[in-house]
Amino acid sequence: MASFTGASSSALISPRQCLAPTKISGLKLVSFSNSRSNLPLSFRRLQVSCAAKPETVEKVCDIVRKQLALKDDISVSGESKFAALGADSLDTVEIVMGLEEAFGITVEEESAQTIATVQDAADLIEKLCEKSA
Amino acid sequence: MFSTSNLFSPIKLPSQMETHLWYSLPNEIKTESLLSQYVDLLSPLEKDHIFSISSHELQKSALIARALVRTTISRYQIGSQVSPRSLEFKKNAHGKPEVIWQNSDDWHPPPPRLHFNLSHTSSLIACGVTVDSPIGVDVEEKQRTMKNNILSFAKRYFSCEEVELLSAISDPEVQRQEFIKLWTLKEAYVKALGRGFSGAPFNTFTIRFSSMNPDSEDSGIMIVPLENPSDLTTNWQFAQLELGGSHYAAICRESNGGASMKVIVRKTIPLVEEQIISEIN
Repeated sequence: MASFTGASSSALISPRQCLAPTKISGLKLVSFSNSRSNLPLSFRRLQVSCAAKPETVEKVCDIVRKQLALKDDISVSGESKFAALGADSLDTVEIVMGLEEAFGITVEEESAQTIATVQDAADLIEKLCEKSA
Repeated sequence: MFSTSNLFSPIKLPSQMETHLWYSLPNEIKTESLLSQYVDLLSPLEKDHIFSISSHELQKSALIARALVRTTISRYQIGSQVSPRSLEFKKNAHGKPEVIWQNSDDWHPPPPRLHFNLSHTSSLIACGVTVDSPIGVDVEEKQRTMKNNILSFAKRYFSCEEVELLSAISDPEVQRQEFIKLWTLKEAYVKALGRGFSGAPFNTFTIRFSSMNPDSEDSGIMIVPLENPSDLTTNWQFAQLELGGSHYAAICRESNGGASMKVIVRKTIPLVEEQIISEIN
């Protein structure tokens, strides 16, 4: 299932091959089917990951606001989709670069392509920060 | 009120030699009645998406983009009675939208292999259309400034040869313009490939401008893959244009046996008017 993420077919953003996450008080349950897996479809892998800290989400929101020069009446939160905020392809890559500099990480293109929302970016940042810690 | 199906006589599909580029300026589309006509063209899923956008400006822009795609494709009247509302779309494995023709197995002759690609800035929305060739389109505002330092950005994302080319430009304004144009070329190529950003990371290929013989038909822009040459195909051709005096646009499509790209540009207000701007050879 791929939710309709936007009118523009940006090369950067593509719908994730996973179901919409359900939040349960701080934990994010993400279930996805891996089409390349040899496991039967009924055996779905569950991945429980901790959602990024609110401070990280907030920092990402600030960077996004700055990059897109958003007016105050436009709200940005974890659920905000970059495409829906008016980010074009160049904006999105500038945002990723801004995140790299702010957090001292490197985001590979494969990972960058999976980022559709602010929350996605924050989660990826924390994952990358953990790795380098 | 006017009927959408007979507004204009059908437009001929682009020939194999042609690329059509349609564009709309959201600032020119203001009346609520027209915008609600656009809403009427959308699928339920598209409506959900549009209504989930909280900013009016962004919502309008996304709405016009969908209306542009639907009305543009239906202008070619492929199969009888095709209306903008009846078109169905799907996304390929990498998220690139495509048209689904209803009961295409029953068509005699089979439906044309129409390709389209949309590019979206806040002030201009463009849709490129070809037959039998994948197409990528990217537009950017000419006046657009970068939040990051241009050379830092280029070093991070572009190829060495491209960084050298940009570094050699001493005038910062010219450098900025050339950077934006280069970005649109690279983005148009990656969108034409249809594999998503990671399918062809920007630093794995160079856009090279060959020094041109003015009599040559070659547009002088070529792809030079830097790694895994078999993954990055090079039989593509490019066109660069300016739209409305305000935007740079790049189009990428498959090569045509050496002939340079013929582009027909139309400016449109979906459901209202269209105007051929230029034919570029």
